[in-house]
Amino acid sequence: MNENPADLAPELCVLLAAALGLVHGLFLPRDRQGRVAVTCAAGLAAGFAAAAVAASRPALTAFDAFAVDPITHVTRLAVLGTTLGAVALAAGGVRGHPRESEHHVLMLLAALGTMLLGASTDLLVLAAAYLLASVPAYALAGFGRDAPGTEAALKYYLMGALLGVAMLGGVTLLYGVGRGTSYAVLQEGLGAAPAAAVAAGAVALLAGPLFKAGAVPGHFWVPDVAEGAPRAVAAFVTTVPKIGAFAALYRIGAQALPPGAAGWPALAGTVAAATMTLGNLAAFGQDNVRRLLAYSTIGQAGFLLVPVAMAGRGDLARPALLFYVAAYAVTNLGAFAVVVATGRDELSGYTGLLRDAPLLGGSLTVCLLGFVGTPPTAVFVGKVLMFGAALDGGQVWLAVVAALNTVASVFYYLRWIVPLFGRPDGPFRPARGPAAVAVTAAALSLALGTGAGAVLAR
Amino acid sequence: MIVAVCGTPLLAGALLLAAGRRAGRAAPAVAVGVAFLVLAAAVTAAVTRPAARFAFLPGRTGGLAVDDLSAVLAVTVASVLAAVLLYASVEGYGPRFHGLMLVFAGAMLVTVTASDLVLLLMGWEVMGAMSYALIGYIWQDAGHVASADIAFLTTRAADTGLYAAAGFALAGARSLELSTLSGAADPWRDLIAGGVVLAALGKSAQLPFSFWLARAMAGPSPVSALLHSATMVAAGAYLLLRLHPLLAATQWAETLVSWAGVLTALLLGAVALAQRDLKQLLAASTCAQIGFMFLGAGTGSQAGGTSQLVAHAAVKSLLFLCAGAWLATLGTQRLDGLPGAARGHRLVGVTFGVGALALAGLPPLSLWITKDTVLAAARERSPALLAAGFAASVLSAAYAAKALAWAWRPAADGTPGGPGHRTPVPAGTALTALAVAACVLGAVPWRRILGVPDEARPHAWGLAVSGTVAAVTVAAVVAAVRRGGFTAPRWALGWLYLERAAVAGVARPVMALARALDRFDDRVIDGAVRSAARGAWWASRLATGRIEVRVDGLTGAAGRGARRLGALARRPQTGQVHLYYAQAAVVLGVLAAVALLAR
Repeated sequence: MNENPADLAPELCVLLAAALGLVHGLFLPRDRQGRVAVTCAAGLAAGFAAAAVAASRPALTAFDAFAVDPITHVTRLAVLGTTLGAVALAAGGVRGHPRESEHHVLMLLAALGTMLLGASTDLLVLAAAYLLASVPAYALAGFGRDAPGTEAALKYYLMGALLGVAMLGGVTLLYGVGRGTSYAVLQEGLGAAPAAAVAAGAVALLAGPLFKAGAVPGHFWVPDVAEGAPRAVAAFVTTVPKIGAFAALYRIGAQALPPGAAGWPALAGTVAAATMTLGNLAAFGQDNVRRLLAYSTIGQAGFLLVPVAMAGRGDLARPALLFYVAAYAVTNLGAFAVVVATGRDELSGYTGLLRDAPLLGGSLTVCLLGFVGTPPTAVFVGKVLMFGAALDGGQVWLAVVAALNTVASVFYYLRWIVPLFGRPDGPFRPARGPAAVAVTAAALSLALGTGAGAVLAR
Repeated sequence: MIVAVCGTPLLAGALLLAAGRRAGRAAPAVAVGVAFLVLAAAVTAAVTRPAARFAFLPGRTGGLAVDDLSAVLAVTVASVLAAVLLYASVEGYGPRFHGLMLVFAGAMLVTVTASDLVLLLMGWEVMGAMSYALIGYIWQDAGHVASADIAFLTTRAADTGLYAAAGFALAGARSLELSTLSGAADPWRDLIAGGVVLAALGKSAQLPFSFWLARAMAGPSPVSALLHSATMVAAGAYLLLRLHPLLAATQWAETLVSWAGVLTALLLGAVALAQRDLKQLLAASTCAQIGFMFLGAGTGSQAGGTSQLVAHAAVKSLLFLCAGAWLATLGTQRLDGLPGAARGHRLVGVTFGVGALALAGLPPLSLWITKDTVLAAARERSPALLAAGFAASVLSAAYAAKALAWAWRPAADGTPGGPGHRTPVPAGTALTALAVAACVLGAVPWRRILGVPDEARPHAWGLAVSGTVAAVTVAAVVAAVRRGGFTAPRWALGWLYLERAAVAGVARPVMALARALDRFDDRVIDGAVRSAARGAWWASRLATGRIEVRVDGLTGAAGRGARRLGALARRPQTGQVHLYYAQAAVVLGVLAAVALLAR
């Protein structure tokens, strides 16, 4: 058994940074806690570097429960990168807040949970990672201590509690019929288990990751949290936990369940189709950009579930999922960063952004066009790979549904893009930090899109 | 050398045709010079036996070669060409005539020296096209052109047999060489033989294609003298003589060719006897005489068939040239317009007499021996063939005697058509040479020349009987003509109604079918296209008028529907946690059902 802690260096970096930040916060005066953000950012950067180094090494398994393979590498890099962005987004908003250091530490802990979620190959570790990824996020959602934030946090917590319990039930059931919690053991043991027990256990198990991913039926919290929580937190919870959730879902489909068990392609395909359709349709009439982005993330989650449904079918599913999830993270962070930068929630508030703040407006346009799937953005490449995976796996109907949804999604993204070209009512005063994050994310999206060949070749 | 034989006339003819009027008065002299060059080349080739091998189709070798049969044919064609062009050189024909004649002769030379079907077909086809141009030489006259059409269409229709044979040869023998055709695989050999026999029957104006030769008489007399003696019509007989192994390999083809030949000799002999026009008589007699060649080819008498071909070539070109001479001076070729003609043109009259007597099979002239050689071979096959052939030879004596008697009859008023008419020296030379050939060609040792020493030879008593019968017949017919002639049956006068039958049986149905198809094309196909266009126009009007509005409406409806669906999609988002719980539980249940039921 490999018990080398160095294999978990990125996670340890984040944990260390979180602990340091917490201790730091205890002894720092309230008005100078901004240094904690620096500490946390340094930890994230160190983790990113460690993850990048680890990515160049061969795949292995640590502690019999953590897979260090391409899925983990991409999850780590995406989580650490977007968390860094989210910390930067939040730094301005919580400056001077009595619990400023806790805010950053909670973000780091949630990110740590997310990374473990994506790397774990054992049901018990998965359950622990789920809790670690969720509980700090509940606290973050209610961090503003205002009425909408409190309501959002409560709903977030209640949904997470229900689906987490369902997930624990599923873990128990699968443990019972599969005689183990390790994915490798389950894949062998579930083949001979009763189909009904496997199906019920798998669905219950999926409830947890689906809640983190913001997919049907765990999507109810997304609009409420995105609207009610602080903007930077909304950006964080709609971006970071999803990365680990999709990795976990893919692992369950490809590594834990035997091929064909629990009606896999149909089950995940149904969830994918329902999620993308619901998200895209519900986004139609939204005038609140945070709710619009929330439904947009639900729709994107549906698209991301397509390669998950194709897990183990064809060679395109894994690269499609990993590329799309990274592209989604960058693009979603960029779009929310613009919202944080402008501080406006109403759709009408964005009229003329391109004229008044060309860089910020351009970044928003790039991100939204990216969500539509316009070349040369990163999501375009991800969508192409996603369609390819669906056709490769023989699920033509899923590709058709995804194509229809893509067409439908154009409508609400354009509703936001078109006013950008109008005449502004008053001057925009965008915050500098979030604006820089938005521009960086948009540039990264374009770079990932144009350099997709080089990225995919790795 | 072989290329010189075939290429010289083709090249010279093409140059003359290209030069057109610019060649002017030099054309006849050039043509005669070329013809004698070709004759010299042909004689040289007959001695040296050259061969040129090349492949028109990849992997299918063939080429030109001179063997015994080709040598005889090449010399014959070249000789007749020289004689006819020499005769025609003073008739005032232009470069077009001489060019066509030379190209035609070149094509015939290619045909008789070709050793594979592709080259043979090329020669065969060029020959057919040139014959069309030559028969319709006086193109200003619609009647001549119509006659050329009929002759060309009829031979072309039969030519398809040769094309089919070439295709079958490729399929069955994997080779186009003439010598390999008899070894083709079983069903293919019969098909090849069928195609070859069909093409030969058509080209040689045998039954049932004979009628085209009557129409071919519309051409100038020198054309008839070349085309309907040594070339064109002889090509069919040559093809069957050349491919006799193929005929022998399929029993039925030999029998078919023999009987087609002897029946043509018999029936067209009767037709010739009934004619009142000298050229028509000669045309029908050509069919009949070629019938003897077919009989020779069908009974395996290479020597008989070939000698008959060569002797007949000399005799018939002589007779056609004489007929042309009289047509030029008397303005008529009707038999009852001829009295006095022979007496007025002594040289023409004497040579015509020699030719007619040779045609009658009178001893010791050429056709007497050659025909009896063929009959001797027929006797070995079947008495019925011999009987029919003998009857046909009696008929040939009769029609030759009829032409002779009318030509040598004194004019009714005692004045000959052209008193003291002098024949130009070149024409006289040509006629004399042909007349000499008509006399002596029977004495040539054909078996030795052709390398078939074992073939049937005429019996002495057979020769005696046929000579006596021919003499008696000639005497009787001459006496009958003296008494004022005899009435001929209409079927014989009208060439057995063959043309009418062909028009009614083939041409009209084909035309009717073509018209029907034309109407079908006009009304159904064209109509469909038109109505499709109309339909498209209507559809476009409909589209602009109604559908576009509807499509517009459809787009609007889709948008409204999507908005309504969007509103519906937001309904679950009630904001109340207990409803979220209920919905999540229901969805999880549904998913469990999906997981359980989906496979």
